[in-house]
Amino acid sequence: MEKLRYYIALWAAKLSIVALKITKRNGTNFPGVVALKICPKFLKYVDKPKKIIGVTGTNGKTTVCNLAIDMFKADGTVILDNSMGSNINSGISTSFIKGVNLFGKCKYEQALIEIDERSAPVLFPYFAPDLLVINNLTRDSIMRNAHPEFIGRLLTEELPKTTKLLINADDLIAVGIAPENERKYFGIHRMDTDVKECINLINDMQICPKCNSILEYEALRYHHIGKAVCSSCGFKSPACDYEAFDVDTDKMTVTIKDAEGPYTYRLLNDSVFNIYNVVSVVSLFRELGYSQERIAELLGKIEIVKSRFSEEEVGHYTIVRQMSKDKNALGASRAFDYVSGRPGDKELILMMNCLGDTHHWSENVCWLYDADFELLNKENIKNIIVTGPRAKDYYLRLKLAGVADEKISFVEKELDAPKALKLQKDESIYVFYGTDSIVLANRVIDNVKKEIAERGEK
Amino acid sequence: MKIEVLFPEICNLYGDLFNVNYLKDCLPEAEIVNTSLSDEPLFVTEKPALIYMGTTTERGQELAIEALSKYKDRLQQCIDENVNFLITGNAMEIFFEEIFEAGEKVCDGLGILPFVAKREKRNRFNSLYVGDFDAGLEEPLKIVGFKSLFGFAYGDNSNCALFETLRGDGLNKDVKGEGIRINHFFATHITGPLLVLNPTFTKWYMEEMMGVENAALAFEDAAMDAYNLRVAEYTDPGTGIYY
Repeated sequence: MEKLRYYIALWAAKLSIVALKITKRNGTNFPGVVALKICPKFLKYVDKPKKIIGVTGTNGKTTVCNLAIDMFKADGTVILDNSMGSNINSGISTSFIKGVNLFGKCKYEQALIEIDERSAPVLFPYFAPDLLVINNLTRDSIMRNAHPEFIGRLLTEELPKTTKLLINADDLIAVGIAPENERKYFGIHRMDTDVKECINLINDMQICPKCNSILEYEALRYHHIGKAVCSSCGFKSPACDYEAFDVDTDKMTVTIKDAEGPYTYRLLNDSVFNIYNVVSVVSLFRELGYSQERIAELLGKIEIVKSRFSEEEVGHYTIVRQMSKDKNALGASRAFDYVSGRPGDKELILMMNCLGDTHHWSENVCWLYDADFELLNKENIKNIIVTGPRAKDYYLRLKLAGVADEKISFVEKELDAPKALKLQKDESIYVFYGTDSIVLANRVIDNVKKEIAERGEK
Repeated sequence: MKIEVLFPEICNLYGDLFNVNYLKDCLPEAEIVNTSLSDEPLFVTEKPALIYMGTTTERGQELAIEALSKYKDRLQQCIDENVNFLITGNAMEIFFEEIFEAGEKVCDGLGILPFVAKREKRNRFNSLYVGDFDAGLEEPLKIVGFKSLFGFAYGDNSNCALFETLRGDGLNKDVKGEGIRINHFFATHITGPLLVLNPTFTKWYMEEMMGVENAALAFEDAAMDAYNLRVAEYTDPGTGIYY
């Protein structure tokens, strides 16, 4: 009976794909939603590729997956992925539906699946990744994800014992996941920018996981990401199987040492966050048996996805799109850190309001008090425009961060925000927006261009 | 004036520590004393102007209980002698008799408050909160905030509730009284920067509880602007309370 239900679900979902194509609708999750509605255990029965690689973690999993997919394409390797859908059960079901024919036979040998870490309980009972990359576990949505220790516990309880893990050794919360599973580690040895004391508001690994004494960081990148040691019990960050040395952001290269020795690869972006993404994808391909030379060659052929960060020269100005995931304090802090550290004068438009929440309730703004707005209190940030439903909260938070009153502009409506730009020649204008505001951000950027045309070139 | 922050290395979730940061902005002369799990708390030998503890993880609750258990009698004495406590989020449960998860007992609490915490393993209960605080003035002060928890508290707080709920949940879904107030011990399940989001309450707290004459709020205009908008939003029946 269950099997019959599965086939009905499969055919209904396949039919929905045709219907979406005919009606030219996007609905990337819809086939999976249909299938799961008819057969809740659809993921159990659907025929899957022989080898499944998963990528999970709080931040960077989409970038890592996109890099890996581009590298597989450049290599001529056909792989099933969920880049067109979501990373929860409906999106992953949609990918598997596309991967099978009408008789339910899978057409792919391998799959690369981005996995939402919170969805583990509805995924792992039905399929076991052969290899799972875990980038990091950090704070995310307070409402959905609570805190990283909770997500770590969830993954430990749900992960199949057969799944081999490839973990960021510089994240001790991730290191603590599923201790019985076979694993390898990647990480970054030392960077010139390393510190010993955390300057961030969020640091979720301050005590030793073994003896609860205060941990010391020999090299700290940000938040709890770095190399720690406990002077009380001797606990320390694990040794890396794939360890990055000699990060050179001038030449945009990184050397990664593994069992075969060091090899130098191209970096695609100079932010530490993205350097970890490259180290993670190189480690993944090494685990899949690719040679160092071939990985370097494949990395040379690809570009980082531009949807999250892209810049455009408009006259004497540079307009930068800076996506910062809604309600994600750590993501915002990383973006603030990166932007504030870039050279040149700049103006910022902050519009990471969770517009989805605005429709039915009022956004929980606790995350603003976990995010390092203090990083925006820099001499070369000349004007910060706060706008949208939570503009008053941003205004107060910036005041608490020590930003001078004359550097904060309050504009109620996002589309009017560009009017408050001061437009000093040769500066950069950063528009911070969340996943709910992509379309609105495009319209704001159009208005920035209009302001530049009308005022900026005079 | 000393403000003791208990276990900031683990009791630091959801922006709760901004309660203390904001007090420091309002009271620049205040000395913040951070007490780690392995330290002897300041309250053992002194009476701080305020003892603060914020939201923590589930493991953090157990560590805090373990660290405080040897000072249970002193904590009780401090409560009896009107020492100021402000306890936010699930830190309140540390003072309870027992903590349960999915129907099974996880641990004993300090046993100072006759309440129990019952949480679910994975479900989150998220809501906005708006309630009244009786400050002894003509009108109660409106309190706004957020709750984001794995469960609720049970016990009779009908005579010792901190806030009277207008919209949202009290101690649990069946009661309107939110939090616990015994003498100067204030505890609430509201998470996040309660004092930043509620400037009228903060001013009252500094003056009436901490004894600061003519207390001045830091960034008062900006805080009041954000507060007034939030009160209007949360009291609007068109705004959903549950996430």
